[in-house]
Amino acid sequence: MSANGSSQANGANDFTVKAGLAQMLKGGVIMDVTTAAEARIAEEAGAVAVMALERIPSDIRKMGGVARMSNPKMIKEIQEAVSIPVMAKARIGHIVECQILEAMGIDFIDESEVLTPADDQFHVEKSPFKIPFVCGCRNLGEALRRIKEGAAMIRTKGEAGTGDIVEAVKHIRTVNAEIARAKAALAAGGDLALRALAREIGCDADLLKQTAELGRLPVVNFAAGGVATPADAALMMQLGCDGVFVGSGIFKDATPEEATKRARAIVKATASYTDAAALIEASIEHGTAMKGISNAGMKPEERMAGRGW
Amino acid sequence: MAKHITVGVLALQGGVVEHLNLLRKAAAHILSSPPPPESKAEDLPEFTFTEVRTPQQLAQCDALIIPGGESTTMAIVAQRLGLLEPLREFVKVQHKPVWGTCAGLVMLAEQVSATKQGGQELVGGLDVRVLRNKFGTQLQSFVAGLELGFLEKGGEAEPFRAVFIRAPVVEEVNIATQREEKGNGPVEVLGVYQQGQGKEGNKDIVAVRQGNVFGTSFHPELTDDARIHVWWLRQVVDAVRHGGLVINGA
Repeated sequence: MSANGSSQANGANDFTVKAGLAQMLKGGVIMDVTTAAEARIAEEAGAVAVMALERIPSDIRKMGGVARMSNPKMIKEIQEAVSIPVMAKARIGHIVECQILEAMGIDFIDESEVLTPADDQFHVEKSPFKIPFVCGCRNLGEALRRIKEGAAMIRTKGEAGTGDIVEAVKHIRTVNAEIARAKAALAAGGDLALRALAREIGCDADLLKQTAELGRLPVVNFAAGGVATPADAALMMQLGCDGVFVGSGIFKDATPEEATKRARAIVKATASYTDAAALIEASIEHGTAMKGISNAGMKPEERMAGRGW
Repeated sequence: MAKHITVGVLALQGGVVEHLNLLRKAAAHILSSPPPPESKAEDLPEFTFTEVRTPQQLAQCDALIIPGGESTTMAIVAQRLGLLEPLREFVKVQHKPVWGTCAGLVMLAEQVSATKQGGQELVGGLDVRVLRNKFGTQLQSFVAGLELGFLEKGGEAEPFRAVFIRAPVVEEVNIATQREEKGNGPVEVLGVYQQGQGKEGNKDIVAVRQGNVFGTSFHPELTDDARIHVWWLRQVVDAVRHGGLVINGA
């Protein structure tokens, strides 16, 4: 019944607000969309957020060339079309693309290896931005380097645009195994052992200690890259991911009706990821998945997950 | 007689673990606090805290928290899992204690504005109209110290560190609704956030209660401050003892 003081602005509060939005997305599906109409399909299917981009990863892969931040006009149309959070991608290290997206009132920036990197030395220093960032990782060291730079959310890199889940599984398994190693190191050798491990995997020792104590990453961790079916989404959830990004898996080679079914099915499977009956229903509703590209036959230069460090 | 109390957290999406952690902390606080002189040791309740994804799990619960998350997603998933009607029954017919934070407040409102095109399904129970994303996008999310008069009696405690993320506010209370269920009395305003100073400052209603239904537009689950959880859980204990009805103005 009473009034309050003014809002404080300090680093801890800023990070609470950034990481807090990621926590509110947990258990949900974030979908890549290229038009306002696709964004509406995603929202109606129950997406927790949409990722606005000009081309889905599988088309970026096919068309080649340099992939950059999307046209702000198209991002604005998507912002106007939906009431859920809108994310957008910036190139690795491209500070100005991030500044533009922040000024547009985007809810989350994905500093993404799916776009062509702009800086081969540095990722964006994310702490000074008021907008939260999500970044990809293949292992614990990479995840903690991004968090040290200010990332409020992590995702597996997977291999975007392929519809092949194998790389995303490898990345979450690697992160989980390294967290287990950090816990064991802390238990056996205390701070000294943890500092040695931090040197080995190239990350901040305090963040590594926090991770070992929590038994998980200190921020929300989603699956991304190669999720094509409800079973893929549930697999990543069962492996410990907090939610799922679906890039090409919904709108690739699909009519709006087919995309709606795929989107609804993946939302359901992510929410009910241990319920076999729900997973059967979701798999039936989903229908045919994108054809995809097997990661096994890919040349190193075709891989997006190798971008960033 | 020790009473067993089961409190569920709706686990379709959002800040589920965060609420469960604070509920456990709040329960430990309640169980370790000195009991009122007239009560006996065996009056202490036993708590179970659990995730709710199905109507069967909901039926086990004496009280429920609807966490923060995306209210459109929660409504769509709840509908597809056959939970909307059981939730309405739980809140508006059985009158069991329910608390919604952020998206949960949206779900518990009888009316919502600034929804997705075509509107969204609601559980209802609070005769209020809630405005989604009142402050804007994530750029306008913030943390503010709130004086919550219901929490502390001495008035010496620190303001509650309230986290507002793409937050809704209550834009009107005691709205006229079509609902048939009655018996909850008027909506009480329990918390206000004021932007700016003095009389010019814009005031927004951020915490309300109507009978068994409590809603906050901020996220206590994003802090480690369990005071609101302790306060709410004590009301749950009273409600269970009194057969499901919260005494107004307790």
